[in-house]
Amino acid sequence: MAYTLLLFVVLYYTLFRPSVRKRSSHYLKRRFPGRNPLFMLWDSFLLNLGIGRTLVDRAILGILGPDSLKLSLEGKSELTELLNEGRGLVMVTAHVGCWQLAMSSLSALDTQVNLLVHRDEGDLDRHFFEHGGNKPPYRIVDPAGYLGGTLEMLQVLKNGEILCIMGDRNMGGDSGTVSVDFLGGPVKVPFSPYKLASATGAPVAVIFPFRDKSGGYALHVAKIIRVPENLGRSAHAYIPFAREFIGALEQFVSENPYQFFNFYDMWTNEH
Amino acid sequence: MNTKEKLKQILIADLNLEELAPEDINDNAPLFGEGLGLDSLDAVELVVIIQKHFGIEIKDMEEGRDAFKSVEALAAYIDRRLAAA
Repeated sequence: MAYTLLLFVVLYYTLFRPSVRKRSSHYLKRRFPGRNPLFMLWDSFLLNLGIGRTLVDRAILGILGPDSLKLSLEGKSELTELLNEGRGLVMVTAHVGCWQLAMSSLSALDTQVNLLVHRDEGDLDRHFFEHGGNKPPYRIVDPAGYLGGTLEMLQVLKNGEILCIMGDRNMGGDSGTVSVDFLGGPVKVPFSPYKLASATGAPVAVIFPFRDKSGGYALHVAKIIRVPENLGRSAHAYIPFAREFIGALEQFVSENPYQFFNFYDMWTNEH
Repeated sequence: MNTKEKLKQILIADLNLEELAPEDINDNAPLFGEGLGLDSLDAVELVVIIQKHFGIEIKDMEEGRDAFKSVEALAAYIDRRLAAA
């Protein structure tokens, strides 16, 4: 019922709200270059349907509990091995699928999960556990905290815990970013995950949570990145690792074009 | 050479602050922001530098929070840790 209603809501917004189409067009023009306007409209509908489904699914989980949807963690043994190295684990993800569900599936690793995210009261993407007034299955590191949360992040890794960072969008301004090509044009992405890995010796796992064909959610380990220790202060030293991440993201969006939810122009310098 | 002076030289060399001389660094100026001009990610570098040059691992980041206020505070922290070792 909710999914049927969603179809009509998304159709309305796609057809009659140009601002909605514009927000999705930045990515879609890059993902499907040369598309004619009619196909672009269809792409916009599918992309908006994708984000709509994740919002509905999150609500379902919040109301009906964790058994109401299938959640699977692919690569659990691989992640466990990385954690057993005892240097913490940096998980780099992106605005794909449903990250809140990913956080839930990480509980299978029996290790404290920490998420770098800036929270405002009334955020649309609050975790479904929070909506229910329950404790979320992760701890938040606030980038607006002391020194951007950097010391807290180091502490997390020194404790052997998991630190999740969005690798496709920087929190506030261009400082701490490097420029790499994504879908044919330069974008600015944070290099902090790789710098933290270099300082602590922690491995980096690139993970993408996505909605699979069965309607359940899977957390996929797309790549393991090893950053040499003590690479130093220069942002330039971390570009190869940001490129590795973006390469994995390009692969993901080529396979799941309607599960990438960065609704702003990543390719402009004005963000 | 005392810890403070040694620290200034290390910061200039390891953080590539070649435009500065040790005497340009005010003992009590903030390390981050308007003082020495370091940014938040440089805190990661500072932790590594302290371990590399002084053999001190900052395990409790609350300690780091106080120590990273200025060169004076950081040098005092290093001296305390070395004395306790």
